[in-house]
Amino acid sequence: MSGSGQTHGDHRQWAETSHCRVSAARHLGGFAVLELIAPRIARRAAPGQFVMVTVPGEGYLLRRPISLFSAEADCIALLVEARGRGSERLTRLEVGDVVDVAGPLGSAFPTQGVTNALLVGGGIGCAPLQYLADELAAAGAHVTAAFGFRDFRAARAVGAFTIERLSVATEDGSVGRAGTVLHLLAALDVAPGTTVYACGPTPMIAAVQRWTFHEGLRGYVSLEAHMACGTGSCHGCVVDTARGKLRVCSEGPVFRLDEVTP
Amino acid sequence: MSDRRPPAPETDLSVRLGPVELAHPLVDASGTLDVLEYARRYDGDYLADFPYAAYVPKTVTADPRTGNPPPRVTETPSGVINAIGLENPGVHAWIAQLGEWAALRAPVLVSVGGNSPEQYAAVISALEAHLAAAPPGTVPDVRGYELNVSCPNVVGGLQIGADPTATAEVVGACRAATARFLLTKLTPNVRDVTEAGAAALGAGADGLSLVNTFKAMVLDRDTLRPFLGNRTGGLCGPAIKPIALRMVAEVAHAFPDTPLVGMGGVMTGLDALEFIACGATAVAVGAANFTSFEAPQRILAELRDEVAARGFGTVGEARGIALRA
Repeated sequence: MSGSGQTHGDHRQWAETSHCRVSAARHLGGFAVLELIAPRIARRAAPGQFVMVTVPGEGYLLRRPISLFSAEADCIALLVEARGRGSERLTRLEVGDVVDVAGPLGSAFPTQGVTNALLVGGGIGCAPLQYLADELAAAGAHVTAAFGFRDFRAARAVGAFTIERLSVATEDGSVGRAGTVLHLLAALDVAPGTTVYACGPTPMIAAVQRWTFHEGLRGYVSLEAHMACGTGSCHGCVVDTARGKLRVCSEGPVFRLDEVTP
Repeated sequence: MSDRRPPAPETDLSVRLGPVELAHPLVDASGTLDVLEYARRYDGDYLADFPYAAYVPKTVTADPRTGNPPPRVTETPSGVINAIGLENPGVHAWIAQLGEWAALRAPVLVSVGGNSPEQYAAVISALEAHLAAAPPGTVPDVRGYELNVSCPNVVGGLQIGADPTATAEVVGACRAATARFLLTKLTPNVRDVTEAGAAALGAGADGLSLVNTFKAMVLDRDTLRPFLGNRTGGLCGPAIKPIALRMVAEVAHAFPDTPLVGMGGVMTGLDALEFIACGATAVAVGAANFTSFEAPQRILAELRDEVAARGFGTVGEARGIALRA
């Protein structure tokens, strides 16, 4: 059965657990960038895929699905936001800690043949777009990113990103332009044929979807869902799509922007 | 786990679940593990390396079901609540996929669901007809059925297993449709779990499995509205284990020598041994499958150690210890 998990590109899903040492941990307010030594995950991964991370300690049952923030050589990185008990515990991981990680899992952002890319992120949904920007830039694509955040605290995540052409908006006007990511999009001069990649909260996805159709563009979206297994078994993470209910962990998390119904 | 003693090779973990010989007592709880999904995410041959002694697939119904609206699952203190709603492609599409996992090395107990005796029997009749005509090697080793009369998340809240008469009607219709081993999976959402158990056995079931999930509710912390799309769901995980043990003990006491599959929050080998001590023949692992790919191998190794450390020659020697006066 080896290799039959290919959906996009040459990445492959992998359910087995890797015991990964934290090689770097950077804290940005309620966020942490965790670099993990995970050669076997890094080797298979592609932008858009995620990993299931076991929360260390007693009292946590389900693993947390976290998208790949980067992957190169022997390391992967995760951008984690302290949102609930489990993710808060993950942001407190320190260099030398060992954490159990399964992955890479799920579908990847298609990138083949893309020359102009617009990356639209909202909140912690920006996380998978760094890895995507790295891969697109390495392939010679022209990459522009527009990120929106709720407020100053949420915008602390910006400090984790190294995307050359990145504009930021906050709803409270504390960082970047005052407004939503849609205000940023309206101000952009987007080349025809640009591929849109989006990840963020549901209202943002809906707005980006409308904007993309209006501009006559096509694109992809990475969705988030509460998950139990992360490996296609439990059907807990389904979303409604034009193709019916699909699993975010299995058919997703990356879907065509025109097939989701946010 | 590196400080664990090497497993004692003389410890016999094999059990007989009715006519089904199991290499060890652990099976998966229906709906928590999909062999094809794992095979797609595994470097080796998962169908050969399948860790459980038998495979219980996700419940199949006569017609396709789209399941419940999301969200469908979340974590609760020491537990998991879900309301999937028996999403499945229907028995005909399900049968069409059997060839893809025909090489599975373990015996299979097919979980069957429905809203009426006719629907349950239709699933079994369709599968029996297919098995009878299938060339060797094109279908997995189906040895029996588990009648899921206990899903708490189906439309209208209908739970056949809460009604002994309705349970007997379903079991009777299925008994007429197959000569294979027939388990009935009981709901814990009743006053006396032995009543439906007696009804199932009286109508021809060969054994019982219990418990399915406890009907439960979790609220969205911000809105104080039900979190799940189905409003209510079924609770599983360590939170339910003590209640599940009590119910397995009650059923084992009421129906001695009846093949029993015990389940409810099994996370360790000791948990599994406790279900056996309460009278279970075999033990199903559910929520633990969500914690890691390696959970079944770990639980099995722990069970082997627990049995050996207590000086039992076979796992069967531990069966029913908790029931003794």
